[in-house]
Amino acid sequence: MKDFAVFWGCTIQTRFPFIEKSTRMVLESFKLPYRDIDGFTCCPEKSLVNNVDHGAFVVTAARNVALVDELGYDLVSPCTGCVSNLATVKGELKANPREKAEVNGLLKEIGREFTGTASLKHLVPFFHDAVGIHTIKQKMKRDFKGMRIALHYGCHMIRPSHALKADDPLNPVKFDNLIRGLGAESLQFMTKLMCCGQGLDRIDEHDKALDFARVKLKELKAMKADALVLCCPSCFLQFDNNQFLMEKEGEKFGIPVIYFTELLGLALGFDAEELGMNNHRIDCTPFLKKWEELSARPAVSAGIEEGLTGPNALG
Amino acid sequence: MLEAKLDLKLLEMCSKCGACYAICPSCVNIPSYDPRAVIKDILDGEHEKWINHSSIWQCLECHFCLEMCYQHYGFESAMTAMRNIATRKGAHPPQVKRGWEMFVKTSRLGEPALPARKKLGLPEPKASGAEEFRKLYALLNEKRQQHKAE
Ligand code: SF4
Ligand code: SF4
Repeated sequence: MKDFAVFWGCTIQTRFPFIEKSTRMVLESFKLPYRDIDGFTCCPEKSLVNNVDHGAFVVTAARNVALVDELGYDLVSPCTGCVSNLATVKGELKANPREKAEVNGLLKEIGREFTGTASLKHLVPFFHDAVGIHTIKQKMKRDFKGMRIALHYGCHMIRPSHALKADDPLNPVKFDNLIRGLGAESLQFMTKLMCCGQGLDRIDEHDKALDFARVKLKELKAMKADALVLCCPSCFLQFDNNQFLMEKEGEKFGIPVIYFTELLGLALGFDAEELGMNNHRIDCTPFLKKWEELSARPAVSAGIEEGLTGPNALG
Repeated sequence: MLEAKLDLKLLEMCSKCGACYAICPSCVNIPSYDPRAVIKDILDGEHEKWINHSSIWQCLECHFCLEMCYQHYGFESAMTAMRNIATRKGAHPPQVKRGWEMFVKTSRLGEPALPARKKLGLPEPKASGAEEFRKLYALLNEKRQQHKAE
């Protein structure tokens, strides 16, 4: 496996450093060759920067990719937005040699060059493709058998697919495969692929952002999902923080929101607190309690063993 | 140089299609949101109607329309172009203004939370590329001026 730089992005480092913690813990556990590198800026956030100045969007992303290209590394990020934005620009420049030449003309003056050689991957497809479910299973200490998990891919983990090439953009499977690999049930439901709607909070439309969160949380509550699992800081903000705000106003859903790295970390044997899960706004205790109860049950095999080899009536 | 564009030929085709409407999360969940109306006005030469309208900002850039589209175009192309025009006229939402200011000044949308990092035992954050970014952005704007002058 090639060395890879981790692109943490602004949201995780500013608001959710505990996500960085659990990500580092799982990367260490698998002894993956990850690097922290100097010089990254905001990816940049498309819904902000590209709406103001397309050129700023392109040159900023191209510069970030150039840093990794130069070192001969690949790039992996636990943020869907970051990967999607960087890959969008990489795709645009690869498809458009004239634009690439213009951008490299500018980058040259600061001593950089975009070649687009680094592969850019989100952490979930990376774990699926490069680490593999088999390796994960070998390292796991506990599984999630009996747990009902609702997955939220996050639009930018899989779209735009021409740039990301991460999974099927309308019928993705890799995150599901990982969750099933961890032994949990991945629930199938109407709003599974619905956009989280966090973007509305970034344009002063908080009530509409809550409307979006409510649609999914209502369905999850009705289905009695044990948790919503995702791997994007914006989606996390939407479902953890905004759910909390709704609960403060008396609307109770009680759906713990768990980051993929936290779930994986639990399976590897870390405890919730060292993974930083006590920093969530929505309490994860109900999830953890049910998990403990299920794990405390004797294994099915115990009864069968007993029946086959224990005392019998045959004399 | 490196400006946003809108392909009107594809938009013309788009106005006759409408296939992605049913998969667009904003179309489904925000009753007043309908890119078809925006597209029609653009093609009628009346895009100005939408510059101060909140609709153009309610596109979530989820790329569902892009993936669905037989032209690989998407409603979002029209919405992004409209947002760019609105921004150039100063009609962007206050939060977008604040975010942009922070971005051009610091190259980031926030600084690493140092006390929390320490508590979690995280390493010192790596150096940011702010200074180099500012140089690059200034260069881009210089080149644009040159292009305009030519
Ligand atoms: S990108 Fe915008 S217009 Fe396209 S489906 Fe998503 S919300 Fe709708
Ligand atoms: S964006 Fe594409 S799929 Fe949607 S209405 Fe236009 S042409 Fe049809």
